[in-house]
Order: sequence, then structure tokens, then C-alpha cells
Amino acid sequence: MSQTGKRTYETTFIVNASLDDAQIESVINRVQDTITKGGGTISAFNKWGRKRLAYAISKKTTGFYVNMEFVAPGTAIAGLKRTFQLDEMILRHLTIIVEPKVLKARKASAEAAPQPEPAPVPAREPLFGDQNEKDQENKKEASQ
Amino acid sequence: MRPGYRGRRTRRDRNQSIRKKRTCRFCDAKETSIDYKEEKRLQRFVTEQGKIIPKRITGTCAKHQRELVRAIKRARHLALLPFVSDSIR
Repeated sequence: MSQTGKRTYETTFIVNASLDDAQIESVINRVQDTITKGGGTISAFNKWGRKRLAYAISKKTTGFYVNMEFVAPGTAIAGLKRTFQLDEMILRHLTIIVEPKVLKARKASAEAAPQPEPAPVPAREPLFGDQNEKDQENKKEASQ
Repeated sequence: MRPGYRGRRTRRDRNQSIRKKRTCRFCDAKETSIDYKEEKRLQRFVTEQGKIIPKRITGTCAKHQRELVRAIKRARHLALLPFVSDSIR
């Protein structure tokens, strides 16, 4: 556990996709409010958008997926769960602890990553009977 | 065949030639965690029906199989993977 009893959590939930975008937005805002009211801070927020469900949930075949990561005290989770359960527009929800080792690995990869320069693609070896082979030979001769 | 032995090929000899040693894909890739959100990758460890493939088939190590199973079950809960595929329902 990190300082002051806070942990990193990750939550994913599915909103009824038959609602219009404004209504979905209000559902998402409500969830965000409960997290911040519970003393949490949202660190990452992703809308996956409308996706086909692998199986029907209460006769619906599509859902609007939202995924967010936040740092919060454990007490905030009970309140979050309650809002999920009370909201009829939320079909499914899943809140998990992001394990410290995962966070560590992510940090390490982020530190290693800031070299956006990709490795140069090695020049293709001319294949047997390749037209390029002759061309390169010609060039070599020309340079000599 | 064992060197210097010129009898019948035993079952062990045959199996050794057929079976290749499988290694855990996650160990090979030095994976730290298996994410439930990557349903495309999880699909490889699930049969067409949607059942989890045992580790004796896939060669996954015990530690990663446990993580994999947890990830698959989470993905199922969020309808990213089916419990039972449509074809047999």
C-alpha cells in the first residue's frame, strides 16, 4: 500500500448504448463525481465507445464501454459500487486494484520508452535473382 | 533412439522425436501481467466454444496460467469474451 492508505484502482463499466451521447455523458460524470467525492483522483480516462457484447446483457447486444484509473482510499470503493448498482443505465461494472508490480513495470517501460526514434529498418538483402541485385552491382561498378 | 541400442524403438524414443518442448509464452515474452482488456490475446487461450484451454496443452506455466484464468474470467464478466460461444448456444 502506498502512502496514506491510497491505492490505484481501475474500473471499467458498460453503459446502456441505446441512450444518446448526452445521457451517457451524464452517467459518466456521475461516476466521476462519486470517485472525486470519495477522496479519489482520476489519473486516466478512456472511452472505448460502443462495442458489441460477447453475449446479451438484459437483452442488449451493444454497450458503451468506459475505463478509468484512479487513486483513492479503500473507503471510496464502497460508494462507487453503490452508484454502479443503483444506476439502471449501467449494465456491468468491474473495479480492480492495479497491483504495485504492474505500476512499477509501467513506470519502467515509460522511462525506457521516451526514445520515439524507431530502429532504422535494415536495408533489404537482395533476393536471389532479384532485379535489384544487378542494379546494385552496376552501382558498385559505377562508384569504383 | 538411444545410442548403442539396436532393438525396437520404445515409446519413449518415439515420443521424444515427436514432441517438442513447449515453453510458457508469457515467460518467454517476460510479461509482468496479463490484462483482461486485451481480449484478442486472450482468445488464443480459449477454445472455439469459449472454454479455457488447460495449461498442459498450451504449455503455459502454473503462475501465468493462474493470471491468465483470472484475466479471462474478468473479460467474460465484462462481455469481452463469451461464456459460451454463439455457435453452440
